[in-house]
Order: sequence, then structure tokens, then C-alpha cells
Amino acid sequence: MFKLNIIKSLTLVMALILGGAMITPTGLEAKNKFIFANSSPYDTMDPHALYDVGRVAYRINLYDGLLRWLDNPPKLSPWLADSYDISEDGTSYTFHLNKGATFHDGSPVEASDVVYSIERILALKKGAYSLFTKSVEPGSTKVIDKHTVQFNLVQASSIFLATVPAIHILNSTLVKSHEVDGDLGAVWLSQNDAGSGSFELDRYDPAIGFSAKRFENHFMGWGDKYLDEIEFRTVIEINSRVLGLMNGDFHGTDGYLPQDQVKRLKASDNVNVQVEESMRIFYVILNHNREIMQDINFRKALSYAFDYDSFINDILGGSVARNPAPMPNNIWGNPTDEKGYTYDMDKAREYLAKVKKPIPEFVLGALAGYGQTGQAAALFQNSLTKLGLKTRIVEEPWSVVSKKMRDEQQMYDSLFIWKSTYYADPNNWIGELYSCDQIGARNNSWYCNPEVDALLNEARVEPDQAKRAVNYKKAAKMVMDDAGGIFVYNTVWFGPYNKNVKGVRFSPIGNAQEMRWVYFEE
Amino acid sequence: MRILYLMFNRLIWFFPTVFGLLLLVFTISHIIPADPVAFLAGDNATNEQIADLRAQYGFDRPLYIQFINYVMGTFQGDLGISLYTQRPISDDLLGRLPATLELTFVSVLISAILGVPLGVIAAVYRNSVADHILRLITVSGLAIASFWLAILFQLFFAMELQWTPLQGRIDGWGPDHITGFFLLDSLLVGDWESFGSAFSHLVLPVATLAFPAMATIMRFTRAGVLDAINSNYVLYEQAMGFPERIIIWKYILRNALIGTVTQIGLIFGLLLAGTVVVEAVFDWPGLGLYAVQSIMNSDYNAIMGFTLITGTMFILINLLVDVLQGVMDPRSEL
Repeated sequence: MFKLNIIKSLTLVMALILGGAMITPTGLEAKNKFIFANSSPYDTMDPHALYDVGRVAYRINLYDGLLRWLDNPPKLSPWLADSYDISEDGTSYTFHLNKGATFHDGSPVEASDVVYSIERILALKKGAYSLFTKSVEPGSTKVIDKHTVQFNLVQASSIFLATVPAIHILNSTLVKSHEVDGDLGAVWLSQNDAGSGSFELDRYDPAIGFSAKRFENHFMGWGDKYLDEIEFRTVIEINSRVLGLMNGDFHGTDGYLPQDQVKRLKASDNVNVQVEESMRIFYVILNHNREIMQDINFRKALSYAFDYDSFINDILGGSVARNPAPMPNNIWGNPTDEKGYTYDMDKAREYLAKVKKPIPEFVLGALAGYGQTGQAAALFQNSLTKLGLKTRIVEEPWSVVSKKMRDEQQMYDSLFIWKSTYYADPNNWIGELYSCDQIGARNNSWYCNPEVDALLNEARVEPDQAKRAVNYKKAAKMVMDDAGGIFVYNTVWFGPYNKNVKGVRFSPIGNAQEMRWVYFEE
Repeated sequence: MRILYLMFNRLIWFFPTVFGLLLLVFTISHIIPADPVAFLAGDNATNEQIADLRAQYGFDRPLYIQFINYVMGTFQGDLGISLYTQRPISDDLLGRLPATLELTFVSVLISAILGVPLGVIAAVYRNSVADHILRLITVSGLAIASFWLAILFQLFFAMELQWTPLQGRIDGWGPDHITGFFLLDSLLVGDWESFGSAFSHLVLPVATLAFPAMATIMRFTRAGVLDAINSNYVLYEQAMGFPERIIIWKYILRNALIGTVTQIGLIFGLLLAGTVVVEAVFDWPGLGLYAVQSIMNSDYNAIMGFTLITGTMFILINLLVDVLQGVMDPRSEL
């Protein structure tokens, strides 16, 4: 009798636990609330503290810029600025602000707010600072009148306009009122909102994410289809993001999931996967600082030894587009006629035979947590082993890799990596990756070819896009002929959304996370 | 007096232990060739930008100076600023601590509620079918990786049966903040909807954490009960005609539980560490998830803060266990 009671009691406890769990139905909370599962945590709400792709949502939904990149291929569109003028010498940019634009607290967006915002970026030295450090000096941006602001550049720059969307405009009066010990309001702004964007911050918890409500008075107005509320939650685990989307807990998640997960999502009745060719390129940085790498025969041997087709078609299931150049397939200035290298072990052996110096152990760097880089490294290692090279794969987290990339001694012999889209201009890729003045910063291959450099520098100041395109094509061909790096593919974005979600507008800058166009279809 | 002596003795060792822990973690985290500032500054940062930021955060100073500054700050209650959130570490930790403690408390509670009686059953029915089944559960609990178990639970209970939520701590943002424990806060304000939601969100992470903990408790309880069952005093009580229920629950279990209580204390500490995996899978916004992110970002102050707070809790729990053991078993040598 006594023994039976124990079992009865335990059964009751278990039933209560599971029964209790079933009390609350799972699923979505509000009808017109969009929930996005994001892989990166929203550590801060300060739009000037970060300039990454993973957390772009708070910047473009809560804040506006003077201009904005829209659609694919991306077009630079008027935003807070209705129009702009460029001086003849290309050093002065005058923006005319939309007179109806207001911040979330109702105060008007004025030229002084633009000046405060760019000065704050330059003073904080974080986020998008590096885009302006060589072109805009502190104190050089002027208020012409309430709705006109003028940027006076250090020198003519043909890429300045492309970077203007990165200047997110703050309500200067509001931020100044929260400055403590000259911190430019950094602590306050890390969890508050001082923007004019399409949505205004409602809740923020760095451990969870943020939610924002539609800003009815946004200067662009609203049509008849929109979201009332958006919520971006941090969901680190890929599996949880995918299952959550399939289960209906989320309405969207990031578009760069591994292909096995994309297949699962495509098979789900709840999910629709949108496909767009992105501008993110996957390539191999070759460390030209190594003695052996200075021999072009060795670099060419490496370029012929990577099995591009197997990687793209077998490992990635054909989910990306082959791109042989140091810039995306779909940007102007791309050398579209160039075929690049193919997998050819005979040619690789031929070039390797011309290498006179002894070849030391070759280190293949890969990013821990990004399986694709490890897979590419393993595939490459296989080919290099067949060529008789001694190789070693080193997989490390991004915090370690990002340090080593800037140190010529610590940098790997090669590193598999992506180059994301911060602004849609060829300078974002070839201009940063292969300019001599970017060595150790964005040029992590230590590649420096004076002829290539001259073409890139000329393109940076030339205002005529057609002429710039010629320079970039020539420079790209030279880098490819030089085997300056191994260029593998152009990413395709597979944006998974709930089937009822409509109006998603993808742009490679922002990855479709701008929510003002999105709505639910009943 | 004995208890006071024990507490005093343990507290004397508290500061050197915490200091050693901080020194160890500081050294390890700084030896790793990572640069949190380069990471923070982003892909496009210039070398000058990184150097300026490094100076701003004091990372350009010698390591021993950085450590001394950190320890001095800690004694003044200042754990530094997170590189990523830009907020004081103490605020970040205190914001996440209730989530982890709630998860851990409930897991320990469930594992003890189930583990102790099941351990008794296994002992009372030793070598029976029930004992064999329970042994299978015990071995499974100790052998199965919690990461895998968590995903299995998600697939079955959340996806297939749709009984429980898949991840997260609550639907929406939770009840008004009083203690930070959602179950407690929702009860205090009478918000039954939030209580139900918080409860249902707890089920899978708790089950994942409690399963191996329950297995350990079962094993110790079974061993303790078996040991006690063969004692002379039990033989005497049986000869005296005491009811079996009284013998098991009043006399055997009290003696058997001394070892189990020690284990529960240790389990509590282990579960605090174990939440790292479970919180990552279930996106539970607690200290474990914070620690993972801090390690991935090499956010030194955050890593140190997490170590300090979990180390301190572990030491205090051990002290509590020692005190409890002393109270339960006056024969024990303190």
C-alpha cells in the first residue's frame, strides 16, 4: 500500500508539470506584430556605437539617414534629405532636408541635428567612424539654415555619397540633455531612442531584444498596409530560429542560414523563402607578406587548386553564384568577361613546379562557428595535400581572427572569409581589400601593387561613374591575374518569412530588415 | 558555536579563493590572442581607430596594472563597463541573474522532488524491474548530452505535440519587475496569464537541466537508503514492529539524505554552470547566455564579472551545504 502511494504521488507531480505547461497556448501574441529572430544580440541601441550587418535592424528602423539604400541592385534614394547639390570641385555636399520630418518626441529634424550626429560619430570613433575619418574633419560640417546642411570634405570623394546613409540622425537636443561627463549621451542612448525612424522604441532588454511601435507621424507617411509593432529577439541557436519560424513563433529570421536549414524551411507549410542575389562575397585572403606567397607561381598554383565547383555545387548545393572577381557579380565595375580560375590540378602542379624556394607548412585559417569556412578549408587542404604540400587548418573565433588579420606576423597564410556590403560601391570590396593605404586595416592580404593602387585611388575621386567602372574593371583583372586572392562565390540571400508576411524589400545593405514596407496578408 | 566556527572558517578563505579565481580567469582571458577592441570597432575600423579605443578602455596598459585596477574597482563595487553594451557590468549581471536563478532553483527543486522518492523506490525494490528501469533512467541522465536532449525535447514537446513553447522565458516581456523571478512576480501581482506563460516556458529547460541532476540525486539516495537499510538500528526498529512507512521516511531517509543534501548543494553549483548550454539552446536570457556572448566577444570585464558572481555563489552554496550537514548530522566533524 505504502509503495503504491509513492508511485501515485510521483505520477501526480509529473502530470501537474506537463499539464501546467499546456495551460498557456504557445504562438504569436498580437495580430499585427512582426517578430524577427536575430542571431546577434542587441547589446546597444546607440546607432553610432556599431556598424555591423547583424544588428542593422535597430539602426534602420528607429533612425533615419539623409539618404538610404533601397532594393536590389541597391539604389541610393532620398530620405531625410529631399535633394542634394555637389560643388564643382567635388568637396562640398549640400543636403536639403525634408521640412516635415520630426523626431519621435515631435521636435523637427533640423540641420543642427545632422551636424551633431556627424560630429558625434567622429568623436566616438566607433561604428561608421572609419568611413568618414579621411573625408570629414571635425567642425567642418556647417548649418546653412534650419533645413540645409553642408558637408565640406577634406578632398573630393566619389564614395562619400554612398556612405551618407551610415550617418543616422539623432535628436541633438534630447541626447545633449542626457550627456553625463562628456559622454555624448552614450550611456543613455545605449538603451533609449532619439530617432525619427519609421518605428519608435517601446521596450528594450539587452538580454532579449527590442520592440518598437509604428511612428504614425513619420515624414514618409504610411499607406494602408503596415505593421503596428515590430519585435527583434535574440535567438542565438540556428536550430531554435528555424524551429521557431516553422512553429509560427517568429515571422522571419536571417537569410544566410546553412543550406540544410533552408531546405527544412522550404519544406515547411508555414514558411516562404525569398531568394535574392546578395553582394556578399566569399573569398580567400592570401597573405602576401609570407616569402613564399611573393612568388606568383605559388599563388597561381593555389588558385587552380581550389575545387570551386565541388564547393559550390556539392557542399553548398548550388545555393550561391560563382564569382571569380574581387567584387560582387551584380555591382557596376565588375569584370564580367573574366572567367577567373577553375579547378585544374594539372595546372596547379605546373605552376608549383616553377616555385624554386622550399614551401613551408601552409596554414589555412577558418572562422569557428561558421562551418562553411571550415568546409572550404578542408576541401582546399585535400587538394593541397595531393600537391604534396604540408598544411594545417586553424579554426578560431572571430574575436581572435579579427586581431590576427591586422598583424602581419600573426596573420594566417590564407583565410576563408566573407566581405559584407556596407555601401554599394566597388570601393567597398576591391577598393578596401587591395589598396596599399588600407594595409593592416581592411587590406589584410598585404597585397600592394602600385598600378592597381593608382587605378583605385583615381576611382575614389573621379565623379564620373562610367570612368570609375573602367578603372575598377582594370584593377580587378590585374588582381585576378596576380592571383591576389582566391575568389569563390557571390552569396545568395534566402530570406525565410512566415507565409502571411508580404512587402519585404531586400537590399544588400540592410538585408531586408527595414520593416516599414512589410505587412501581414490575412 | 560549532556552526559559527565553521562559517567563520569558510569566510576567511572566501577572499583568497575569489582572488585566485579572478587571477586565473584574468590570465586565461588575456592570454587568448583575441582583441576585443578590434572586434568592437568592426570590419572597417582603421588601425588608428583601434589604437584610440584601446587607450580609451585602458587596454594599452601593462596587464598587471589592468588587473590591479580591476581588483581595486571590484572592492569598491565597480565591475567595470561592458565593451559591447556600454553599461556597468553589475547592471548587466543583475538584469540576467534572476532568470538563471529561477531556472536553477526550479531545476534543483524538481530534481530533488523526483530524485529522492525515486531513489527510495529503487532501494526498497532493489534488483526488481522497477530498480532496473530506474537504473536505466539514471544512466541515461548521466550519459545523455544536455545539448542533444534539449533539441530532442524541443522537437517532440514543442514541435510535434505543441505542448510547450519552443524557446524564450515568457511570451512578451514578462510581468512588472519586482524580484525579476517571473513566477514569483506574476504571483505577487496576481497576473495568472504571465504565471502560466512563465511556467510553460520553464518546462523544457528545467526538464533538460533536472534530468541529469535527478539521476545523481537518485543514485545517492538509493545508495544511502541501501546503506541504512542494512543497519542494526533498522533491524531493531523492524523487530519492534514499527510500520515500514515510519522506518523508511523517518529513520532511514534522514540518515540517507545527509549525503544527498551535500550532492544537491554541489548540483546547484554545477547547474549554474550547466545553464550555459541550456540557455543557449532555449534562448533563456540569463547569465549563461551572457557568458557565452561575452566569451565569443572577448568582453573581458563581462567574463570576469560572470566568474566573480558564479564563483561567489558557488562558495556560498558550499558554505550553506556544510552548515546544513552540520545541523542534520551532529556527529559530523566540521
